[in-house]
Amino acid sequence: MRYGTGPEVLREVTFTLKPGSFHFLTGRSGAGKSSLLKLMYLAHRPSRGLVTLFDEDIATLPRKRLPFLRRRVGVVFQEFRLLNHLSAFDNVALPLRVAGVKESTIRKHVDELLAWTGLGDHMDARPPTLSGGQQQRVAIARSLISRPDLLLADEPTGNVDDALGVRLLYLFEELNRMGTTVVIATHSENLVSRFKKPILHLEDGVLIHHDRVEAGGGTGDPRDSRKPFGRGKRQ
Amino acid sequence: MIRRRTDLPLSRDPSVRLVPWIIGLMTYLACLMLAGSLLLSELLGQWSSGLSGTVTVQVLPREREPARLLNERVDKLVRILERTDGIAGAKAIPLEEIAVLLEPWLGGAVALDALPLPRLIDVRLDMIDPPPMEELKTMLSNADPGALLDDHGIWQDQLADLVGALELVAGFVVLLVGLATVGIVIFATRSGMAAHQDVVEVLHLIGAEDAYIARQFQNLALTQGLHGGIIGIAFGAVTIWGLGYAADHIDSAILPQVQLLAWHWVVLASLPAATALIARSTARRTVMRSLKRMV
Repeated sequence: MRYGTGPEVLREVTFTLKPGSFHFLTGRSGAGKSSLLKLMYLAHRPSRGLVTLFDEDIATLPRKRLPFLRRRVGVVFQEFRLLNHLSAFDNVALPLRVAGVKESTIRKHVDELLAWTGLGDHMDARPPTLSGGQQQRVAIARSLISRPDLLLADEPTGNVDDALGVRLLYLFEELNRMGTTVVIATHSENLVSRFKKPILHLEDGVLIHHDRVEAGGGTGDPRDSRKPFGRGKRQ
Repeated sequence: MIRRRTDLPLSRDPSVRLVPWIIGLMTYLACLMLAGSLLLSELLGQWSSGLSGTVTVQVLPREREPARLLNERVDKLVRILERTDGIAGAKAIPLEEIAVLLEPWLGGAVALDALPLPRLIDVRLDMIDPPPMEELKTMLSNADPGALLDDHGIWQDQLADLVGALELVAGFVVLLVGLATVGIVIFATRSGMAAHQDVVEVLHLIGAEDAYIARQFQNLALTQGLHGGIIGIAFGAVTIWGLGYAADHIDSAILPQVQLLAWHWVVLASLPAATALIARSTARRTVMRSLKRMV
């Protein structure tokens, strides 16, 4: 993958994620973690190679079908990317609204999820009035509200203290136990060592280490129809 | 008024207050041009129907022809015309009336008998079944080689050409005004997209279809177009009423008596709706095009 006519930021990256797996994505700043996540949440298409998401080749998938695929992927952005002019409730409700869900259903699900994330008393608060941790939870609630098959989080603990970071990881683990495939990009060696999960390690755009990936259940075949995500060379 | 819920804070943009007024100005100009064009059409219609009901026969005097013989020729032609099918009436215009018509050019002290002036016959046509003009011309020249039929066709054609040209100019100005409105909406929409790029991206990445995002911009453009259109048509109506009021107080012999009809007002009243729809469609196309550049 490359941006415009610039150098390739990702190359020789081949891996498969099994449904229900949990991976850390590690690497130094500039190693390509965010670029890989962007490919996975369909912000970019690969300039070469094969990327399949839910059995669809995203390089050739018609553009009009991409929104439906995106709705199956929950994303926690590094800077949260909450809409500051909307309340916490409306931020969390957004994925359901764009999907055309009825307002009565939205009300029920968002109320439940905000209560579960401990933000039941802050539904009407706008993000700028919330603490970093509360904003983080709103962002996570937004990524989960549509019950995604794949959850991607880009440095979700980057803006919170260690204690809150650990609590968030327990939350992700719980979601994973409920069947959601989780990939978390992080710098934190503390979290990686504490939560013994398979690691995808990137260096200079190359996937050089995928410790315990197979333990997550992957077969290495990017065309395996059971997998939510596969990336490899086009056949 | 029910306020639509929007995901984009477009209503807080600085351009939101300005755009309706600019669209209003454009609608105002379009309204005046359109009203002018409709009035011209109406005027031409009035002139055409007024004139096409009559023709004039000129009877040219022969060299050194006595007035008595010329009068006999005129009387003979009047009798022939009165017997002709499709003619409602024919009347020789008295020399005194011709003198009044010529007075601005010849003065009042000229002895008309001494001048070889053509005599005129005013012919009223049966508008239900008028005679063919060519046959009438032939019949008259057979009866008297010095009789010429003037059906005012040349004058009417020239008038129609002039009005047509003015209508074309008015139409061109309305087109320019429309294009300017489209340009304003494109500019405002692109500014809005640039100002809220982050929000647009988030909506896009959480699975919003292009139409969902475009709807937010097009709804705003529709409202702005409608507000601007109402402002423009209101000022336009006041201006037209003012001009009509002023015209009523000027010597009516100088200005033609013409006014906008009910259906003209209906056309003008539809301008705000047209402006709103143009603004909405332009905003939608602009957003959809921009979004196509995203994955």
